[in-house]
Amino acid sequence: MMRVIVNHSLCQGHARCEDLCPEVFATDAVEGKVVIVQDEVPAALEDKVRLAVRNCPEGALRVARSGPAEGAE
Amino acid sequence: MTLMFQPSPPDHVPADRMVDFDMFHIPDGVSDPAEIWHDLVRRGVPDIFYTPHNGGHWVFLRYEDIVDAYRDHTVFSTYQTPVPPIEPFPVVQPQGVDPPAHNVFRRLLAPMFTPTAVRGMMDELERRAAELIEGFAARGECDFITEFAERYPTGTFLYLFGLPEERLDEFLALANTFFRSTDPAARARNIGEIYAVLDQLFREKERNPSNDIATQIVMARDENGAQHSWEDILNCGFLLFVAGLDTVTNTMAYIWRYLATTPAAQKHFRDRLDDPDGFLRGIEELMRINAVSNLFRRVTHDCEYRGVQFRRNDRVVLPNTVANRDPRVFKAPQVIDLDRKVNVHLTFGVGPHRCIGSVLAKREVMVSLQQWLRRIPEFSLADEQPAGSVFGGSVMGFTALRLRWEVAARQAAA
Repeated sequence: MMRVIVNHSLCQGHARCEDLCPEVFATDAVEGKVVIVQDEVPAALEDKVRLAVRNCPEGALRVARSGPAEGAE
Repeated sequence: MTLMFQPSPPDHVPADRMVDFDMFHIPDGVSDPAEIWHDLVRRGVPDIFYTPHNGGHWVFLRYEDIVDAYRDHTVFSTYQTPVPPIEPFPVVQPQGVDPPAHNVFRRLLAPMFTPTAVRGMMDELERRAAELIEGFAARGECDFITEFAERYPTGTFLYLFGLPEERLDEFLALANTFFRSTDPAARARNIGEIYAVLDQLFREKERNPSNDIATQIVMARDENGAQHSWEDILNCGFLLFVAGLDTVTNTMAYIWRYLATTPAAQKHFRDRLDDPDGFLRGIEELMRINAVSNLFRRVTHDCEYRGVQFRRNDRVVLPNTVANRDPRVFKAPQVIDLDRKVNVHLTFGVGPHRCIGSVLAKREVMVSLQQWLRRIPEFSLADEQPAGSVFGGSVMGFTALRLRWEVAARQAAA
């Protein structure tokens, strides 16, 4: 299962991820920083999520594979 | 008078890093001011070089180094950075303050520029763009700068600050003197006038609070429940005035100039009027190629970076337009690919001072182009363009851009 791992200290609120894949990425209304709305990325969205991750200008996002029992790092 | 933040004489700069480069001077015959920067790369000057012009400053040309300078405020500060050095320079809030103090006004402003906030502005952004374009669509020509690219962001500023539309020309005049005047006395007077207008505005909003950004700034309270200092309030208003007008105006000027000479690109966007994702992907690419800002930083202490010696108060200029065409980061960087998939451009900077209005700015450009393409057929540059209409500096752009298009007989008669 694909998951997104966010380094919140790097996110500066560009919102590129939300533009590219709003099904998985949103931004909060206070700082405009990333909020993951689906922890487990559906297979159909994996390509979109990868693209969103690669477009983060801060390098704040990455994807990881994990089994259902493992949590985010 | 000795300036406190004067760069030291360049006796620490090795001869092979000295380059004769004046970022404010656009030679005759150069029609695109960004070309003076790309020419440096073509000439193969060092990635980190020093020019004695404009008080002396470094220039970084690599994407990676420009990112480092944006991120590491302990070495590359935003406090007192002007090139050439001017002191005292207004400490604009929050741009001119390093973290952590910068967080006070950054947090105050952030909620007003989030994607959530900008979604709430979309109807008004669309209405304003449509209204301006309808003013000249039937004429078959316009001066894009004075009739749209200046008026649109200035009108957006009035809307966000809760100011009446009747004041548009007054604010346009203030902005034009601020951005274009080279007369020091006129500039000093102009800054005084801008601050006087802001002072009056914030006092009015304090008496009659409403639902706008000026009210939010003046009514905000610090951690002790007190109003922020009046000076900081004015400096924050000043930042929003100067940061959101000229940048958007000239980004639009660059984009419309490119589209006017590239019918295939016009068609690309026209074909995607009902495909917001595809449309936005094209806008991101035009943002990469048309990065108008060259940002300044000041070195905080004597140090070495990438094997180069820097002295305290040395200025560093970060040309986003060069970073955005770095072949180490971008595939086929010189190609304008409106479907580019991976596009980590630095047009809005990165790090703690990332342009707080980036989401709004992109929407302003996107909405303007959508409304334009819905009302205006294929357009081109007019045959006659005013001479001497380009400028360089911390924002690059054009003072005039005449466009023309065919008008259907029925429309012209109406």
